[in-house]
Amino acid sequence: MYQYNVEDKKFLLERVDQFEKQLNRYLSGELDEAKFRSLRLRNGLYMELHAHMLRIAIPYGILSSSQLRALADVADKYDRGFGHFTTRQNIQFNWIQLPEIANLLRDLTDAGLHAIQTSGKATRNITADPLSGLTEGEIEDARPYCELIRRWFNLHPEFSWLPGKFKIAINGAKLDETALRIHDLGLKLVRNNKGELGFSVFAGGGLGAAAMIGEETASFVPIEDILSYLESTMRIYNLKGRRDHQKKLRIKFLVRELGAGEFSRLVDEDWQETKDDPELKLNLKELESLKEDFALPIKSINLDGFKEVVDFNYSIWKKNNVRNHKVSGYSIVNISLTKLGTAPGDATSEQMRILAELADQYSSSEIRTTKRQTIVFPFVRKDQVFDLWKSLEKYDLASPHQGTLAQIVACPGRDYCDLAKAVSIPIANRVQERFNDMKKLLDIGDLKINISGCENSCAHHHIADIGLLGMQKKGEEYYQITLAGETLIETNIGRKLGPSVSGEKIVDAVESIVNVYIDYRNDEEKFTDVFKRIGIDPFKEKVYG
Amino acid sequence: MDKIKNHLSLINKDYETINLVTFDEWIENFETLSKLGVGLIIGPDDDIYLIKEQLNFIELIALDFNNFDDGRGYTQAYLLSKRWKYAGEIIGINAHLDQLQFMIRSGITSYQLLEAYQGNNEQDYTNGFSMCYQAAANNNGLALQY
Ligand code: HEM
Ligand code: SF4
Repeated sequence: MYQYNVEDKKFLLERVDQFEKQLNRYLSGELDEAKFRSLRLRNGLYMELHAHMLRIAIPYGILSSSQLRALADVADKYDRGFGHFTTRQNIQFNWIQLPEIANLLRDLTDAGLHAIQTSGKATRNITADPLSGLTEGEIEDARPYCELIRRWFNLHPEFSWLPGKFKIAINGAKLDETALRIHDLGLKLVRNNKGELGFSVFAGGGLGAAAMIGEETASFVPIEDILSYLESTMRIYNLKGRRDHQKKLRIKFLVRELGAGEFSRLVDEDWQETKDDPELKLNLKELESLKEDFALPIKSINLDGFKEVVDFNYSIWKKNNVRNHKVSGYSIVNISLTKLGTAPGDATSEQMRILAELADQYSSSEIRTTKRQTIVFPFVRKDQVFDLWKSLEKYDLASPHQGTLAQIVACPGRDYCDLAKAVSIPIANRVQERFNDMKKLLDIGDLKINISGCENSCAHHHIADIGLLGMQKKGEEYYQITLAGETLIETNIGRKLGPSVSGEKIVDAVESIVNVYIDYRNDEEKFTDVFKRIGIDPFKEKVYG
Repeated sequence: MDKIKNHLSLINKDYETINLVTFDEWIENFETLSKLGVGLIIGPDDDIYLIKEQLNFIELIALDFNNFDDGRGYTQAYLLSKRWKYAGEIIGINAHLDQLQFMIRSGITSYQLLEAYQGNNEQDYTNGFSMCYQAAANNNGLALQY
């Protein structure tokens, strides 16, 4: 598994030292609020009313068991014993005290964890498919590229003070689990007709109040030229992005205002000046070495004669939570942290330690986190899946929700977030209660519900089968419903169903939508396919009719 | 509030006093000013591409970094130094302590801090890192790892 080396860790410590000085200058009144805000966000720190939130990066969603233990220690020592896994491969701690930040960060550097650029107007943690390297038919494992690009833009002198935040996702798989076209910049690994590897580049995606899908600005950038191409993209954004209007800061507005054609022409013009600069070529030697670091720790094994245990509960869990591995003899196991009554993505320090222990025992000490706020064990021997399940059961971690409607993604909402217009988690819980019947859940199949408490769209409601967005109407909580958002094969922003629905009635509305789907679908037809075939009207009639 | 100096002139590295004009003045009166050996003050809003062909006539360039969150100055510094190889001095004026490391690597040749930062140890902020993860306009003396 890829780990930071001594120099990397030294760099992390130096960054903490620097931040500590800035923090002290702020606390002594030397540094004003506005500047400190800008600096602290670049170190992942959000200041809330009573305590502070710190966002730690989990690059590419991969953690070693020892990193997970380090996070559990932080949860106990500096927080109230839990952390929150987010939809963008980060973990957040919500109850941090200012004077303790530097020590917290120092505690993490030894495990190679940090909060650098997890927020603020710079390049954020770059995301990749959490199943990178595990599934059949991948074009290329994206992670080594993510890592080289992440490094390049780490405290980049020219691009650390952009107009807005800058999120990059890179996908190397056939299906797009990264949702790259709703990122400021999405990179898709492709091969040209000569079989050479490169990237298709999409710019200007993003959710929020004005959800947009990124447009292609280059169909093929050779891998060795990607850094210069990205620099040119950011240079045009840095110079021309809308700094004058708080709501138009992100690159999506610039791309729309100029038009994707003109934007990519400007980028290309700039790029012609730099693409041959040897200093800006991707370091292919380092790439090879990273490929080795990211290589799978397992080899195929022969399990002839192995017989799966017959157990009803186990088989339900297995159907929902266990996937095929490209390496024979192995499985990919999904673990859902979502239980009735808990916030999606929350994990207690105890759970983290148990998961670390189990990963040591069953998954080559590696854990991955996903966009749906679940945990993945990537390397479980097929003949040990049952034992793993037994252990998970013991610790109440064997929720069989994965891949069913009950695996809801919800942001903190009004329970925790100052910006919220409505609650999210209680709605998620009420939907789970309504569908609290495993037979029914299995029958409905994989249907994604995402709930955001306001337009900032932290829960990605636009790209769910059923998206709920909290809002206020005459002082009451209402939810706007969007249907059939998707990213896996094509990218579509969910279509608005109609007038928003009150909190009281929203669960009925969700149930009506699910019923229309069941009534109309053929065999295993997916929600988005049914929607495309029958249109929005049958759903409207049932919900508002 | 940060105390901003409204520069009328700057002293260059040879201890000569160079008179400064604003970007707009320069564009309007290029014919006259280009013969006088003046320097230019450039703010983030100024379209630096307009002077790309005139650099030989500019004695010195002062980039204004007063607006903490406006990052255009870094690209301006990069374009002037690395891409267009401007031979004169590029001075970062109204500079913030916490941004010196970014300004220097983007290609400025010297800086003037805002008054509020007097008394801090600048060394801590010009480069507190043992290495860098990217090549930039100025890599002088730095260990690069990428
Ligand atoms: C209470 C703490 C939180 C606050 C105050 C907060 C605030 C925000 C704000 C203001 C934005 C919009 C930024 C912009 O578009 O420029 C945003 C976006 C986002 N947040 Fe949060 N957030 C919080 C928690 C979370 C959590 C827990 C998650 C993950 C589950 C999350 C995931 C995201 C994502 C993915 C986006 C980007 C949406 C997009 O692509 O436009 N946030 N957040
Ligand atoms: S979507 Fe809105 S309510 Fe939910 S966490 Fe983000 S900012 Fe808060």
